[in-house]
Amino acid sequence: MKNHPVAISGAGCLCAAGMTLDESFSAMLRGERNPKPPVAFYSSHTEKFPVFEIRAPLPVPGNDVELLRTTRLLFCAVEEALADAGLEPEELGELRVGVCVGTTVGSAMNNEDFYRSFRACAEPAMTAIERYLRSNPAAALVRRYRLDGPCQTVVNACSSGTDAIGLGAAWIRSGLCDIALVGGADELCRTTYNGFASLMIADPEPCKPFSSRRKGLNLGEGAGIMILESDTFLKKRDKRARGYLLGYGSAVDAYHLTAPHPEGEGLQRALAECLATGGITAEKVAFINSHGTGTPDNDRTESRVLGKLFPATPFVATKCFTGHTLGAAGAIEAVLTLASLEHQLLPGNVGLGIPDSGLPVHPVADNLAIHGSVALSESLAFGGNNSALLLGLEVG
Amino acid sequence: MMGMQINGLGLVGGFGCGKEELLSVLEKGVTPVSQAGLRDHLLPLFQADTAPLEKYLNKRALRRIDHFSRLALLGAFEALEDAGAPEFARGRLGVVIGSGFGALNTTFDFLDTVIDDGDGCASPTAFSNSVHNAAAAHISMQLNLTGPSLTVSQFDQSFVSGLLSARQWLSEGRVDAVLLGVVDEYCQVLGYCWERYLGRQPGSKMRPLDFDRISAIPAEGAAFFLLQPATGSGPKYAIIDKAVMGQLWGGRPGLIAGEPLILGCEGHPLNGRIYRQQLSSHLPVACYTPLYGASPVTPGFDLAVAALSLKRGKMFPSADRGGDYYSGSVVTEPRQNNRLTCLRYGFAGEYAVISLKGEG
Repeated sequence: MKNHPVAISGAGCLCAAGMTLDESFSAMLRGERNPKPPVAFYSSHTEKFPVFEIRAPLPVPGNDVELLRTTRLLFCAVEEALADAGLEPEELGELRVGVCVGTTVGSAMNNEDFYRSFRACAEPAMTAIERYLRSNPAAALVRRYRLDGPCQTVVNACSSGTDAIGLGAAWIRSGLCDIALVGGADELCRTTYNGFASLMIADPEPCKPFSSRRKGLNLGEGAGIMILESDTFLKKRDKRARGYLLGYGSAVDAYHLTAPHPEGEGLQRALAECLATGGITAEKVAFINSHGTGTPDNDRTESRVLGKLFPATPFVATKCFTGHTLGAAGAIEAVLTLASLEHQLLPGNVGLGIPDSGLPVHPVADNLAIHGSVALSESLAFGGNNSALLLGLEVG
Repeated sequence: MMGMQINGLGLVGGFGCGKEELLSVLEKGVTPVSQAGLRDHLLPLFQADTAPLEKYLNKRALRRIDHFSRLALLGAFEALEDAGAPEFARGRLGVVIGSGFGALNTTFDFLDTVIDDGDGCASPTAFSNSVHNAAAAHISMQLNLTGPSLTVSQFDQSFVSGLLSARQWLSEGRVDAVLLGVVDEYCQVLGYCWERYLGRQPGSKMRPLDFDRISAIPAEGAAFFLLQPATGSGPKYAIIDKAVMGQLWGGRPGLIAGEPLILGCEGHPLNGRIYRQQLSSHLPVACYTPLYGASPVTPGFDLAVAALSLKRGKMFPSADRGGDYYSGSVVTEPRQNNRLTCLRYGFAGEYAVISLKGEG
């Protein structure tokens, strides 16, 4: 059952917390966050739900306006991760490289302006559709670097990024490719903004995961990428791994389309598979990056499961710094988990205030020194999907 | 690679529901084309009817399930029934679904509520059902499956991409079987885009081997497969022993000389030119897309036809018999075969190759 660990040779991330992984992690340790009503789109809600929007101009790889912003965010994170891994983008086309990327908005044909025009019996130009067609995240990445390996765009809602990393690691283990670009990307979008508001799970204030005053999530945007490599290829390049993907598990609740199972049955099974494939017992886990959206249901379920399986393990909900980046969330959280392991520091949950006394366990309120080389990152999603990754600094 | 047995088929498309109805049109060589409304005119369409789903679920259960998820549910139920309703531990049957575009009608239904009623009155039900993995979720809930579930979306490469993950899960022993499916639906916006790109088509029979001619007819449907590892006991239909996705800039797909091909061409000149450039005229080919149309589901139907052909030991005559427009070898009579390959080229040079062998 134990899987062979897969080397992580590079990582990249951009989100509202920062334009690189280092920037993001540093800002989190400083307790900085700045959610505000969206600038990118108009909303007529009487309550302006704050979002974690990237307001700075994107780096050069994200400048192609012929692509959806989701894909441009992805390109930025990939370039950072490639540089971190010491890989030249130009050489990728000569290598056996796979791409596995999670998204939600990046695969949705929901351009509102186009549809308004269509409904009005006009003849809308195909510009928006063509942009959508050329922006499928994994396919766009394959075209950008002229890759020829396996290619997959995962659309498992909010666990997409986590699943993409776990699935890409399996490609490395099975020899389908030597390198896998894995992660997730998503942009802020009026449609999802209205959608989460309609479900009444958007907080009109900055989100407060696991707090007694939590009212829901704040949306965010960004991308997170890991470069996974086979041992052989890493050795051939004479490079060291930054860390390892030790385990992965996923399972569904088969309970409700949007709400998690109250006892987190699927999450428990996903965690069990993740630990088993990592060959690690729960007490070896130094900390957990929880899904921690700030919605009453999610946090209740997650706290119950963590209280049952990891009663003494510190955890964090980094969405209080990044917002909920949907298909990117699991990937951003995975690279932040790697950063925490490397720094042996867990950022304190900003905005926690008074923890919900009805929950068995709560995230750390202040930055915390950790001692250990293994950590979990977990995601829950619409559709009842639950996924978890086990990351380590060593082979294990 | 580890072989995968195809042990169940669940099919719904313009030809009807179930393998018998697909077999029927394969024998006849033709499927009647329906029509769907698009503003002030009708558009030819291979339309799929989900009424047979009431055989498996009552009306109450179906009340809040949209057409997209109904298609997927019907495919899933049919595949399991066709496999003889095998029993698996609920966590040991994985679900993998590919979809080119997801639940389009519900996506636009949601936008309708925003446009008609304002941002504050958007429909939560429509939003919940518009996510791409809604169909997989309904399958898990209705069949009480708790194993891993994956939905992928990359247009016409969605099916082969999902197939790679199904194979991965089986080879790792994560699951004992995978319910692999592909599903897509028609909507008016898709019809509008279709006509903007391809013009209004009369809807006469598709002629996909005429690679330079537009003859595609849009379609919807679902194709589901119960896949299990190839072990000692023989498959119900066939064994998939190769599944590759790649790009032509990395080299041509490896094809076995003399092995017949089922081509996924659909009457689009954009990828038709790639078939014309890449195909060797010596390879015997067949194309059945005139029986189920053009959509991201087509690769699933192609695989089903391959499985049914290998089950009976003979290929069906191609639904496009060729002519002046195609000088290569076309399978026009039932042809004995124990191996088949499905080949599909995308618009940008991407390709998918799925090879199967029969039990013998």
